[in-house]
Amino acid sequence: MDGETIDTRLLAELTEQSQDLDSDARRITKGALGEFAEEQGERRSGRRMGGMAAGLLGAGALLFGSARSASAASASANSTDVMALQTAASIENLAVSVYTTASGLSFIKSGNATVAAFIAKTITQHTAHAQAFNAALTQAGAATQSSPDPKYAAVVKAALPSIKAPGDVVSLAITLEDVAAQTYTKNVSQVSTSALRTLFGSIAPVEAQHRSVLLAVQALLAGNDADLIAIPTKPASLPAAAGSVGFPSSFYSTTSASPISEGAVS
Amino acid sequence: MNHSSDWELPVSESSLNRMTRDLDEAHQDAYPQMRARAAEFSEELADTASSIAGKRLARRGFLLGGVGVGAALALAACSSSSNSASSTGSSPAAAGASGSASMSSASKYVGDLKVVALATALENQAVGAYQAALSAATAGKLGTVPAAVATFVTTAMSQHQDHAKAWNAVLSGAGVPTITGVPLSNQPATLQALSGASTVGDVAKLALSLEDQAAQTYLFAAANVSSAGGISTAASIAPVEAMHAAILQFVLGEYPVPDSFLGTSSAASTTLLTV
Repeated sequence: MDGETIDTRLLAELTEQSQDLDSDARRITKGALGEFAEEQGERRSGRRMGGMAAGLLGAGALLFGSARSASAASASANSTDVMALQTAASIENLAVSVYTTASGLSFIKSGNATVAAFIAKTITQHTAHAQAFNAALTQAGAATQSSPDPKYAAVVKAALPSIKAPGDVVSLAITLEDVAAQTYTKNVSQVSTSALRTLFGSIAPVEAQHRSVLLAVQALLAGNDADLIAIPTKPASLPAAAGSVGFPSSFYSTTSASPISEGAVS
Repeated sequence: MNHSSDWELPVSESSLNRMTRDLDEAHQDAYPQMRARAAEFSEELADTASSIAGKRLARRGFLLGGVGVGAALALAACSSSSNSASSTGSSPAAAGASGSASMSSASKYVGDLKVVALATALENQAVGAYQAALSAATAGKLGTVPAAVATFVTTAMSQHQDHAKAWNAVLSGAGVPTITGVPLSNQPATLQALSGASTVGDVAKLALSLEDQAAQTYLFAAANVSSAGGISTAASIAPVEAMHAAILQFVLGEYPVPDSFLGTSSAASTTLLTV
């Protein structure tokens, strides 16, 4: 099969998948978001009850000078969830922006068609992730996040002048995907509800998959095997390292995870 | 690569050394975290169990009303029975012989530990599948094995062994037997599928189904177990299984990231456990 036929088929498939994406995303996240809405309702109702208790507690605490800490503790769990969701949405917004910019670069548009198709598909996936995080924020009655993550937006801005070839784009994308995967992996343990654990836990592996593909692409580009960046590829021609470079560790690290406040709406 | 019985891993010594160094570095990064998480998880399970055991009589009427509490009570029962638990795990043969999909009422694996036992069994199943694939390749039963596929199999197998070790550390820390075999009711079907594989593609498809199942099971676990250590451990392994799946998809000629969200429709159920 020649390259043109392969990539035409791939692009057709991806287009079809993109058309189904919204419904796919809604179907998969609907359950988690629905549960989250229920949990928020229960929490609000519990908070009303808790408010009465807190009032009593506050009255007592005032006597002992600790009313402020009691109040802060009662509000902290919800704010953690909201900040985590806002930061996640900001990371997704940045990813969409970076991939969209990359898709317009001349060496991407006229370069490897599979890389271009991957970028197009990945934009739609990150868009769906941003929509899911913002939908959860809406469910929680909190402000949605439409801005990019400030820390990594600065990193991107600093890197842009040096982006001259596909490998540079891939390298930058690997950084962003890894930050996203690490952050959401950590968020799974930080958020307060099962539904939010499902939401973060359903997206972290997808970002890890993006990174995995990009690591393989990076290795193929570095080895002058760009012709093997194709779907289908030629497995027999792939270098040995292509089989393992995409998953460098047994456990997904969270040491570079963004703090939940990083992209929070101020 | 050829079909001969003297098949060898198609990687140069220098490549293997470099890959080993890379993996060692990655392990050094992730392993301390995992050891700490496993220890925390075991401690948490033990604390939960002893705490609940102590309060069980006083709070019985309240505790019986909640689902999560049911698991906690089960943990307490688990703790009390763990002292007499054998330290030997189930053997693959025993798992195959049992053929039962139902949990024994005397099972030592209850509450969160049931999920941990399932996770360990799934990891052992994956290790066994990759081992069988390597054996079949060595025997020339799979035709020509691409170099990248060979390194995929050896690396993925090693990572699944690491996952199994992490989960077994939790089981032993909680005082219940570790699981060294594959006590799953679907193991006979898996073995049958493996024995019927005649091409690299056949093995890759089977491996993909196991990787998808594992990743989705961990997502389900992260949402449903109650201990913080269990949640973080499951959350840190799910992405790795998904990465294995992505590379398998690529090798199979499919788009490597087909879904925007990981689902749970292929997650394994604890009812698969035969111990």
